[in-house]
Order: sequence, then structure tokens, then C-alpha cells
Amino acid sequence: MNYELIIIGGGPAGMSAAIYAARKKIRTLLLSTNLGGQMLESYQVDNYLGAPKTPGLELVNKFIGHLKNFEKTASAGAFDLEIKEGVAVKNIKQAGPVFQIHTTNDIFEGKAVIIATGKTERKLEIPGAKEFEGKGISYCATCDAPLFRDKIVAVIGGGDAGQDTAWQLTSYATKIYLLNRYQDLKGDDKDLQERLKKEAKIEILSETEPIKILGDKFVSGLVYKNFRSKEEIQVAINGIFVEIGSTPASLFLDQMLRCNNKEEIITDHNTGVTSVPGIFAAGDVTDSAEKQIIIAAGEGAKATLAAYNYLKNK
Amino acid sequence: MMKIYSTPTCPYCITLKKFLKEKGIEFNDIDVSADGKAAEEMIAKSGQMGVPVSDIDGQIVIGFDKEKICKLLKIEC
Repeated sequence: MNYELIIIGGGPAGMSAAIYAARKKIRTLLLSTNLGGQMLESYQVDNYLGAPKTPGLELVNKFIGHLKNFEKTASAGAFDLEIKEGVAVKNIKQAGPVFQIHTTNDIFEGKAVIIATGKTERKLEIPGAKEFEGKGISYCATCDAPLFRDKIVAVIGGGDAGQDTAWQLTSYATKIYLLNRYQDLKGDDKDLQERLKKEAKIEILSETEPIKILGDKFVSGLVYKNFRSKEEIQVAINGIFVEIGSTPASLFLDQMLRCNNKEEIITDHNTGVTSVPGIFAAGDVTDSAEKQIIIAAGEGAKATLAAYNYLKNK
Repeated sequence: MMKIYSTPTCPYCITLKKFLKEKGIEFNDIDVSADGKAAEEMIAKSGQMGVPVSDIDGQIVIGFDKEKICKLLKIEC
């Protein structure tokens, strides 16, 4: 199947790019594993214009509702946008004037491509981390927090996501250890940080890192190290929630585009242009200095507008 | 009838249930955040503590494993 533009990734960058493309009457295909992307697991978003204190999933549903107005099938052909969900892109190949997008079961061709694949969560790599994944270790508090009602848990990661997770857990767990590798909590929600410090259930363990996870069939303990005292301390816990950052989802590109040393796609932030003419990038997968929903949405729009000019001149 | 163990804010549970509704598959939705016994049942059946868990005639699927679910339900994905 041939398209003018193929957008890979259905988070805020991809969805915004798709709306702009549809409105420009560009024959577009949007490929996504899960519409919404990283936002799906956000407990609450309070910094997106027009959406005060909105659960991530609710905001995603608003975006999807808006996006689907532009689907070919919904608009009686007024807009030429196709959306395929549950599709994973394996790689991209250039074949003369077009790009071939290889998924598990298909090959789609497009004259221009926007990569908006975002980031994937970083996994814990200490003894017990693999063994106990799903057996007390969770990477999704919005999914699994309720299963730890009346239990003791640890949150690994003192950034925005870790703080968010710790706060979510206060509705269920009896005690929450928040392990932060730094002296202070990082991130931009100072109000949340104050609440966490005042919350009796939460014990913030600064300058610590997890060393080992203990358990039998399920997690029952955690050993962590304090950087300052050099002590190794063991605590009894039933669950561990991990929020230690994420890495760009750029591996599938197989070095087709120039990336920086963090594997982020090097992108011109005026236009979304990458090192390959005809391929644009937007959102968290790029070397954008800040990774935010509202920034990703803006970059998606920019990338489509640049792609439109590129296609006009082809 | 198929059973799904889920929590209300779990996005993958919601995607799974939406998918099943679109395919016209009936299911019993069990909210393990509200029902401790059901949570224990889910953990015992699946050997783990993540949602969603699907029980299709005794066959357990962890997470939204579309292909496995379609295969067990004998439907096209």
C-alpha cells in the first residue's frame, strides 16, 4: 500500500502530526502499537493546556477522539488518514524515492516518514530484577498499585514518575520507601514534592540505590546501599515499583538516522528534519531538550508542516 | 464465560476490554482493586501480580497478549 506520509508512533507527537497531515489532505498512514504511548501510564497530567488534573488515560481518550474525527472512514473520505493500531514497526528501508516500512506482517510504502516512537522504560538490572518481574516488581503503578493494598512497597526512582508513583501508592500501601539516588528530589512538581515529604507513610531514602531483590515465589525484601554511609540495609517489602527513566525507541532504525550518544534522533527543532531527507522526527525519541506531552504535540505539528513542504517539492 | 481480572485505572485492561467488546466477546470483569479474594485468586491462577489476567476456560493469559487471546478464543485478531 502506498502513502504520501507514514507516521510511526501514536503518542501525542504522532497523533498531533496525524491531525495536521489529515487537515493538509496528505494521504497518511499512522502506525501505532498503543495509541497514547507513554501517557497511558500517567496517573495525572496537570500541565497540558486545557486539561487540569486529568488522568493520563482520560487525556489520551480525548486525543484519540479528536484524532479519529479525521479518519477516512469517519469523515466520509473528507480526510485521507488511515490508522492501524497494535502494529509494531520492525525497520525502515529506503527504496529509491520511497521508504518501505516493515511491520510484523506487512510492508507499507511512503514518500515521507515521521518517526514519533517516544521512549521505552528502563528496566532494573540487579539480582532478582528479572526473576521477580510481575512477582512483586511492577513498572506500572496505574495498573498494579491496587494489588498492594495494606502492603509495604518500595519505589525506585526519585524523579517525576517515581514521585507520581509514590503518591498513587499512598491510597493503597501502608508504607512506601522512595529510593532516590540524589540528595534532593528532582522534577518540576514542587507541590507534589512537598506533599510527599509531609506524608507519614512515605520514607524518602536519599542517596541510595537498590542492590538486590529478595524473595521466594514473590518479592519479600530489598537490599539497598546508602552512598554516603556506604551501609547496605535490608528492608522487608512486598512490592517494588520501578521508575528509573527511559531510553529512546530508536533501535528499530538500525542506525539509518544520526543519533546522539543517548540514542536520541538528532533533529532540527525548527522542522523535525533528520539526517535523511524525507524522514522527520518528533517528540521524546528526538534530542529535544525537554520531554513533555505539550512539547511532543508541538513537534508533531512542526514535522508534518515540514513534511508537507517536502512532499510539495517532490 | 471468559474472566478478566483488572484494575480500573490500568490502561492495558481497558484496551483489552475494548478489543473484546469490538469482537462481540462476552466476559466477566473482576475488579481486583475492590475484591481482595479475587486478587488472591488471580495471583494463584497466574503466579504473578500484574493485570490484566484473562482466564479463558482455565487457560491463563497474562497482559494483553492479543495473539494468544485470539488463538484461545478461536477468533481473527
